[in-house]
Amino acid sequence: MAAGATKAKVEAFGRPPAMLALLKSPSGTIGLILVAMLVIVAILAPFIAPFDPLRMASGPRLQPPSTAHIFGTDDFGRDVFSRIVFGARLTLQIGTIAVGISLTAGLLIGLVAGYGGGWVERILMRLVDVLFSFTEIVIALACLAIFGIGLTNAMIAIGIASIPFYARVTHSIVLVEKNKPYFEAAVSAGAGHVRLLFHHLLPNVLPTLIVVGTLGVSTAVLAAAGLSFLGLGAQPPAPEWGFMLSSSRDLISRAPWMMIFPGLAIMVTVLGFNLLGDGIREVLDPRQRSR
Amino acid sequence: MLRYLLKRILAALVTIWITTIAVTLLIHAVPGDPVRIMYAKFQSTPEQIEEIRQRLGLDQPIWVQYWRYMERLFEGDLGRSIVGDQPVLDILLTRFPPTVALAATSLAIAVIIGMTLGFLAAYRRGTLVDMGAMVVAIVGVSMPHFWLGLLLLFFFALELGWLPVAGSDWRSLILPALTLGLANAAVLARLTRSAMIDIFDQDFVRTAHAKGLPKTLVLYRHALRSGLVPVVAMLGLQFAYLMGGAIVVENVFAWNGVGRLAIEAVFARDYPLIQGFILFFATVVVVVSVIIDVLYAVVDPRIRYS
Repeated sequence: MAAGATKAKVEAFGRPPAMLALLKSPSGTIGLILVAMLVIVAILAPFIAPFDPLRMASGPRLQPPSTAHIFGTDDFGRDVFSRIVFGARLTLQIGTIAVGISLTAGLLIGLVAGYGGGWVERILMRLVDVLFSFTEIVIALACLAIFGIGLTNAMIAIGIASIPFYARVTHSIVLVEKNKPYFEAAVSAGAGHVRLLFHHLLPNVLPTLIVVGTLGVSTAVLAAAGLSFLGLGAQPPAPEWGFMLSSSRDLISRAPWMMIFPGLAIMVTVLGFNLLGDGIREVLDPRQRSR
Repeated sequence: MLRYLLKRILAALVTIWITTIAVTLLIHAVPGDPVRIMYAKFQSTPEQIEEIRQRLGLDQPIWVQYWRYMERLFEGDLGRSIVGDQPVLDILLTRFPPTVALAATSLAIAVIIGMTLGFLAAYRRGTLVDMGAMVVAIVGVSMPHFWLGLLLLFFFALELGWLPVAGSDWRSLILPALTLGLANAAVLARLTRSAMIDIFDQDFVRTAHAKGLPKTLVLYRHALRSGLVPVVAMLGLQFAYLMGGAIVVENVFAWNGVGRLAIEAVFARDYPLIQGFILFFATVVVVVSVIIDVLYAVVDPRIRYS
């Protein structure tokens, strides 16, 4: 009994803050550093980039990496390094907007389905299942076919494409929360629908969903780069990494640096979010730690 | 088992049915006049536009349009493409075999490399082999398909000249299949590893070791067999993911499959073709996942009786 109480106390007071726990896992630490680097580069872009990312003839065309242009120049004489630095801004913007859309809509659908139950739940979750089997890229393509191509539409399309995923996650959390004593107490105390949904369920669903959303950024960044690579997203002269890769295609053998650095930038960003996600998962689920 | 089978098939049919509705509604969700958008580059007169609208049935109430769409669908008619004016089904069927070849080859590459890597990592958990395999896997998961494709293209086609840059024969299949296969191998390696670790910790594996059975026998007969069950279950999702990746990879290597067709259709705003593609793609993914689920139920009796 006494031992149990002490243990509870230690758990309540002695548990390291989440951030510290995250830093204990190597993948979490590396992920955090990579994501922090991306954010810093995006914020300080004008100070880090030596050239205007859109200015043509910042140097001679198709220059290999040198001290003046560390990542070389492209076919318009633009500085590849400066374009990548400014691309970080676009990438963060894409990630947050796309995840924001899918998270908000998915949260609402999942909450309503899980809370409502009955036929509301059956219809909504059936629709979610159907959308799920379309795969995200096909939903995104359908959206682009409707709205037309472009970076803004691509962000929206990716946001819409991931709604089923967030709806499923929310739905499964709500099902668990609904059976907890606090919720049953609120129901028997006569709380109304709005109060139950937004005062009781939402605050308990949100933390997990924010974690899932952080991981979702990597998927969104990959998808947006893919659409831009296909020519459906960012349009010239945007310094978007996927678009930069696509314009390097015809010049791969003459100017491989145009292909290597934007790809590396996408990979490091996605890797950062993936590692951060792995780290967060380890903190949340200690069973995974020994693996 | 029969009950389970019927339930899965029914669910699949509902999915396909909802897809037909979604596909019919798609053209009405377009802001502005879809006919004008589709025929923008043909410089048609207003009379011609009206004629096309009537021919496509877009002047009818939406439920009439849906009814006609379903009628034609049952006759195997998916409409005609705007660009090239050919039956949509014919186009899809001629572009499908290359995609099947790509998907099947990549899936084989992904399964062989991914499962071996995941199995080795789990077996040698905590060693350098495990760490190395998992570093490779997480880098692989984070690598954009199209970048991996360009890198392979650069080294093997342009620098070394071993393989063609593009084409339609089996030698041209190697690079796209390798790209898609390696990308999916990374995902499978992570899945296999965690599934196998769960199994290695189970009592029946420990007992088998304790009984003094030969190591290889325990590995293959006890651990591998049950470890693969959850991995097979994930193959359905994996296949959908792979098909999505195929759309991008086909475009990197100018591989003439349905994925490349889809992008061409979106660019040209060829709505009949886009509608046909979505229905076709969803049907393929749904049918394959039903097959995988049924195979899974055959392997694991707990599924069909629950």
